[in-house]
Amino acid sequence: MKLGFRGKIILSFFSLLLIHGLVIFFWVSHVVKESMLEELKNRGISIGISLSARMVEPILAMDFLRMKVLVDETVQLGDDIFYTFVLDNKGNPLIHTFKDGFPVGLKAANTVSGNQKGSIQLLDTGDQLIFDCAVPVIINDNRLGTLRVGLFQTRAEKVVNKIMISVVVTIILAILIAGVIGMLLLNPVTRSIKKFYESSEQALRGNLDVRTAPMLKKNCWDIMQCHQIECPAYKNYHHRCWYLAGTLCPECVEGEYARTIDSCQQCQVYKRCSGDEIQTLAESFDAMTLSLKGNLSDLKSAESILNEQKALLQMILDAIPDFISLQDHEGRYISINRAFCEMLDKDKEDIVGRVNNDLFSGTLADHYNREDRKILETGIPLVKENRVPGSKGPKWLHVVKIPVSEANDQVKGLVCSGRDITQLKAVQEQLTQAQKMESVGRLAAGVAHEINTPLGIILGYAQLVLEDVEKDGQIYEDVATIVKQTKHCSKIVADLLNFSHSRESNIIVFNINEAVEEVLGMVEHTFSLNHVIIKYEYDKNPLLMKGDKEKLKQVFINLLNNAFDAIKENGSICVNTGIGKTQNEIKISISDTGAGIAKENINKIFEPFYTTKGPGEGTGLGLSVTFGIIKEHNGTIKVYSPPLSGDKEEGGAQFIVALPSGLNTKKGEQNG
Amino acid sequence: MKYGWIALLSFLLFFGCGEDESAIKVDLSIKEQIILQEEPSVITYAYLPQYSHTVSHTRHHSLIQYLRKETGLNIKQIFPDTFDEHMKMVGQEKIDISYSNPCIYIKIAHRYGAKAFARIVEVTGKDKFRGQIICRADNASIQTISDCRHKRWIAVDSASAGGYLFPLGHFIGHGITKKDFKEIAFAPGPGGKQEKVVLSVYAGKYDIGTIREGTLDVVSGRIDINQIRIVSMTDPYPGWVYAARKNLDAKVVEKLKQAFGKLDFNHKNHREILEAANFIKVIGSSDSDFDSVRRLAARVGISLEE
Repeated sequence: MKLGFRGKIILSFFSLLLIHGLVIFFWVSHVVKESMLEELKNRGISIGISLSARMVEPILAMDFLRMKVLVDETVQLGDDIFYTFVLDNKGNPLIHTFKDGFPVGLKAANTVSGNQKGSIQLLDTGDQLIFDCAVPVIINDNRLGTLRVGLFQTRAEKVVNKIMISVVVTIILAILIAGVIGMLLLNPVTRSIKKFYESSEQALRGNLDVRTAPMLKKNCWDIMQCHQIECPAYKNYHHRCWYLAGTLCPECVEGEYARTIDSCQQCQVYKRCSGDEIQTLAESFDAMTLSLKGNLSDLKSAESILNEQKALLQMILDAIPDFISLQDHEGRYISINRAFCEMLDKDKEDIVGRVNNDLFSGTLADHYNREDRKILETGIPLVKENRVPGSKGPKWLHVVKIPVSEANDQVKGLVCSGRDITQLKAVQEQLTQAQKMESVGRLAAGVAHEINTPLGIILGYAQLVLEDVEKDGQIYEDVATIVKQTKHCSKIVADLLNFSHSRESNIIVFNINEAVEEVLGMVEHTFSLNHVIIKYEYDKNPLLMKGDKEKLKQVFINLLNNAFDAIKENGSICVNTGIGKTQNEIKISISDTGAGIAKENINKIFEPFYTTKGPGEGTGLGLSVTFGIIKEHNGTIKVYSPPLSGDKEEGGAQFIVALPSGLNTKKGEQNG
Repeated sequence: MKYGWIALLSFLLFFGCGEDESAIKVDLSIKEQIILQEEPSVITYAYLPQYSHTVSHTRHHSLIQYLRKETGLNIKQIFPDTFDEHMKMVGQEKIDISYSNPCIYIKIAHRYGAKAFARIVEVTGKDKFRGQIICRADNASIQTISDCRHKRWIAVDSASAGGYLFPLGHFIGHGITKKDFKEIAFAPGPGGKQEKVVLSVYAGKYDIGTIREGTLDVVSGRIDINQIRIVSMTDPYPGWVYAARKNLDAKVVEKLKQAFGKLDFNHKNHREILEAANFIKVIGSSDSDFDSVRRLAARVGISLEE
């Protein structure tokens, strides 16, 4: 059976008392026995000396009767006296107390010199142990004889045994009484320790509202006659004021326990209320749990805030399109954002705690490791653009790696931030191309301007020659070809000029339906010659907008011409106008039943000089000019091939132009 | 550490056991009867037991040592318990040399033929001595010897010279007879009678006491002698006497007489002997020196035959 604290204390207590009792018993028995024997010897010597003094006169007088009376009286003094006898100065017995003769062996059994007070010798008679006390009988330095007294040692031992029984009984009683008193004294201690144990168990289970110390009988507010109910110590029956922070007593020193306790120990409240070590321990334990509770509350609050901050930070990190990672000084990934996971196409759990070799191919990982090591060693950030393979084709990444330093400038790790700049790269390429085309356009415009005049002269003279020659002749045909090609050149030059020179806009408010209708009126007859039918459907309400009507008409002409060129013959062109996604947006759709546009060419059709037409049929500038005019009006143009509403098998293309009206027109006004 | 505690505990426990004392084996079954052996050629010397035997021994053992050495005789001091025993032992020839007061001497001379051959000179320098009548110092009723009438009287012994005979003669000389006393008592024996008289008066048991002069000095160590007042002193009579029993060899007596004569108070060793014996000199003497005492005895009505 395992003993508890109380059992151990009681066992130890009784063991100690028992050992103590045994030690006392043995010591006392030894001391008592020695004392008794010493007392017995002293008694023998005392009796001898006394009797010796009284024996002087009878010996001098040789009064045997008196000597006999004296020795007999001496033997009768106590039942522990066995015998008494007197030897003369020659060692012969003068008188004795033995009934039937004097035992010869006693004569020389014990001797004493004249200058000795007495001599004691233990004699063993076989039945008894006798202390024989010899005392000289002396008068005026004259040795008259020797007095001998025999005392029973055995009887003295019986007395000792009686005393020892009393001692044993006394010790047992003392042990029992001490044990009972000790247990009574122990009870409060063990009760307190049990309370401590229960309180610590509660504390370990998370319950910090423990009450280990007993209720206080004297309280600070009574002693100090205080009525400050705001004070944390006021009416606080379970905690001493010197353990509480923020007390309002004027004698209190502000601060933590370590600072205030020296001052508190001088306070009369402390002097009157502080208890013993156990009470102090219990009170300090309660104060500690109270403090711990407060600290834990603060800690939980801080943890909550920290978690919120962490979640917020992670949310921000995840919301950032750039990928971000944090690596420790060993290159191990500590923190990453969602973009990084998406880039590697792995879960966060599969990345955090791993190194480059776990995440990238061997060559790439080695390359990254070298980079990381160099940054960690030198502390110099790295900025680079990196082309990496991706699931949807190669990607361009803009990567920044920055070392993260501790307070002592020791590099702790590195932060890597990267951005997908594939689109930006594409735009950059487009921009470069556009800049290149702009330069070409300007060059072409300059050349066209210079060529335009000679072309006009050539055309004029060619037309004059044409009027002068026979229409059936070869010359006529040749000159007619010159006129035709010159006109073509003039158109190229005109387009170039339109492309390169922004004409001054003539902004007016007009009905887009009317503009479309005017354009259709111009081309409808020509198209019908090739059996190309134009179907149109205008919005029932006038679609007013603010813009350059002529330029927009040019847009519609270009789109209709492209549709016609795509159909060539036997087809239809469908024109619709209407309100766009908002009331302020006008949408114009022109679709055809032509050959359509190849998918790979859709992104190139607005580039200048791009054309699918044969030589001499198109300049490649029509859609570029169209695009420019729509942009000028803050509109958009989208192309679908096949058309959104048509049959994909039939082909064809649909251009949808969306233009802001430029008017703050309300729906009611539009309708009215 | 654990073994240290065990050793300490063992020491504490077993130290108390101690050791038994060794004993000598004695066989009590072998016994003998006591038979006193008389020493041959012993000259017995006895001091009249006016004091305790111890005082007698103390006073005379050095003197006896001196006499043994000086005379070559085997002299042994013996201690009779009473005056009567002393006298009887002289008559029985158990006492060869008797040192007694003159009252006893006249009796043993009369009864047993003892012969005086020397007497002492008191420390006062006189060869005679007196008796003293004492009472308590604070007893206002006794101022003179006449005041002793009808008082309780304790004397040393009926055979005492200084302690009874001399004072009785002194009382009679002043017209006070034995009948005039309320009570006449004698100190209980044996031995130490002079001291007992003083102590009885000191204790107030008796109104007056009679002692030989010099006794107060003997008891000065036991009581405050200032509490004792001397009422009167008797006439001086011859002092203590050395007497040889009847039929003692004259040579022995002569040797002793010569040895006594050699004692010189001025001699250092002799002075110690004489001071112990409480006299300063021993001078030769004869029976006729004590006739005055015989007359006194007759006058007070003491019979030498008693």
